[in-house]
Amino acid sequence: MNTTTVNLRLMAAALALALIAAACGGSDAASGAPTEAGLVNLADSELAGMDWDAIVEAADGGTVNWFMWGGSDTINNYVSANVGEALKDEFNITLNRVGINDTVDAVNQVLSETEAGVFADGSVDMIWINGENFRTMKQGGLLFCDYWDILPNAQLLDQTDQTLLFDFGTEVSGCEVPWNRAQVAMIYDSATVPTPPADMDALLQFACANPGSFTYPAPPDFTGSVFVRHVFYNEADKLFPDEGGHEKLLGPFDQTVYDQVAEATWATLNEIESCLWREGDTYPTDKAALDQLFSNSEVALNLTYEPTSVGLGVEDGLFPETARTYGLESGTIGNVNYTAIPFNSPNKAAALVLSNFLLDPEVQLSKADPDVWGAETVLDLTKVSAEIRDQFDGLPRHPSVIPSSELAPLALPELQGDWLTTIEADWQSSVAEQ
Amino acid sequence: MTAVRESAVMGRAGVGRWLGIAALLTFLVLPLVPLVIWSVAFRWVYPDILPSEYSGRAWSSVFSSTNDVLGATIDTTLVALVVTVLSVLIGVPAGRALGLHEFRGKRLVELLILAPIIVPGLAVALGIHTLFIRYGLANSLVGVAIVHLIPTLPYMTLVMSGVFANYDADYEQQARSLGAGVIATQRYVTLPAIFPGLVVGALFTFLISWSQYVLTLLIGGGQVVTLPLLLFNFARSGENAIAGALSVIFVVPGIIVLALSNRYLAGEDAAVGGIGNL
Repeated sequence: MNTTTVNLRLMAAALALALIAAACGGSDAASGAPTEAGLVNLADSELAGMDWDAIVEAADGGTVNWFMWGGSDTINNYVSANVGEALKDEFNITLNRVGINDTVDAVNQVLSETEAGVFADGSVDMIWINGENFRTMKQGGLLFCDYWDILPNAQLLDQTDQTLLFDFGTEVSGCEVPWNRAQVAMIYDSATVPTPPADMDALLQFACANPGSFTYPAPPDFTGSVFVRHVFYNEADKLFPDEGGHEKLLGPFDQTVYDQVAEATWATLNEIESCLWREGDTYPTDKAALDQLFSNSEVALNLTYEPTSVGLGVEDGLFPETARTYGLESGTIGNVNYTAIPFNSPNKAAALVLSNFLLDPEVQLSKADPDVWGAETVLDLTKVSAEIRDQFDGLPRHPSVIPSSELAPLALPELQGDWLTTIEADWQSSVAEQ
Repeated sequence: MTAVRESAVMGRAGVGRWLGIAALLTFLVLPLVPLVIWSVAFRWVYPDILPSEYSGRAWSSVFSSTNDVLGATIDTTLVALVVTVLSVLIGVPAGRALGLHEFRGKRLVELLILAPIIVPGLAVALGIHTLFIRYGLANSLVGVAIVHLIPTLPYMTLVMSGVFANYDADYEQQARSLGAGVIATQRYVTLPAIFPGLVVGALFTFLISWSQYVLTLLIGGGQVVTLPLLLFNFARSGENAIAGALSVIFVVPGIIVLALSNRYLAGEDAAVGGIGNL
């Protein structure tokens, strides 16, 4: 009896040891690869001195583990099928799309690897990123940088455009390349709301004129947070009419200005709270929850960072066919999302080829097609061929989606990260808990 | 052995058995009905009781190569099987020691075994993650299987310790004195006696591993894609149809395993009753 117990124990221990031994493969760092944490510029990396052809050659047969939010079947398909297959055919690079719930998971992955001393053999080669996550990675020295100049297609970007060069106020410094533009639009059902509120003041009045038919996701949800920022801008416009209104908020965090605007914003939001869905006792946890309320006609208005997603939503049965998008006359906030390469990626050459491929005019064109995805291009269309430009102009538009020519003029810039995090934290204490 | 006979008599009452089946249907099958409907719904909004339009989109998406549900199913099964085998190898001897023997510090050992249920697994896993990266275990199926032992081992050990508490080791001595070797004793005496409990413990282990999300995400680094990960991606982003289709696939192994081990769960054997005896 005792002998068998001991035998079983020995077996278990031996098995565990064998498993650990089998998994511990040695990993030799390529020469020139980083040996400590910190931003790595192209010129100091293992790719230093290579021209573009040499990089493409080095990328041959490589793999790119691209970590990106995986909650949209349309985007997943676009990346896995369209991009993945073309990358394989043209460059013999395997694209491994790693779907995650939240971009911060990828950031934490790189962070944990760095803490464990993995400086050259990380598991993340590319991240779909912007805003707070980018700031965290840049400040933490977790990125590969200064590689715009080597990418042939980066010449097609307007490299003087401040909206590309600053990501939520953090200077991009060549540590990520633009992929798509996004701009907030309001959503309404034209069958039930014949004339939606035209600007922010009208929207706030609409909420109390139609009790229970409006709400917004609770910050720090991405979409809820941007709604609160719209109210914030609106209050700033009223407080500083002679000083540029919300433009006073752009730039580094200013406590005095913040306190003034925040006080007015929380007052406004608390004033309408009892008019909101469920009398403001609770807020939808995220954008998906708000979409569900909107599609069940529990609320009359909805908002989105990506107007084209409403067209997809109609096609997928999430939204009614009578759903429409529009921009507020007081302006809507726009931003850019990017792709970044972690400093410890072992496949930087392949990741660079993919970065460049994503900026290819043909690739950006097919991505902008609403039948494929419908994401707005980041290219400067004066720099692409006339033929491509015509095709961009001729792209079909879903009837539910506002034309970008109408939305773009209403664009407002994003605030810097410090403003954002302070607003989100104070919303909790000043609105949610009041 | 008397315990085995007693509860077998009780199980024969029949009514209890039918009540059990009715309960299984109500609590297991009924909640699945909306998921099945969601998976073929195109538009299903308040106040419609049934969808107004249907579509096969979710199922064709689930079986498309983009989502690689087949690969995820294989990986999930593989991990759960390895975890089950490891749990049995570790949990049976541990349960035997706790169930049959009194020793100094037994209470402490029991507390330590329960610790993974009391302490959030995530807190432990965050620390383990760094070690796993250093040893090259992160982002691999092996690493994920090992980390799944944290939440599964307590259950396996508890079940087995209950089983052994009702087990009389003298039968083994008798078999030995009648000439049976060590292996024959294990095979013809020990194993048959503990088998029902072993099945229940293995079943728990399989299902707990099968449904792990946080530990898999952390240690697997997004590269080990199991069904719960896919499911969460779609459920959280409001893709109800696809989430419904994935849920249907997700519960199939559970139902199969449950059906196979129904006999042991229906209370006809002593094993289940022994869980509380630790």
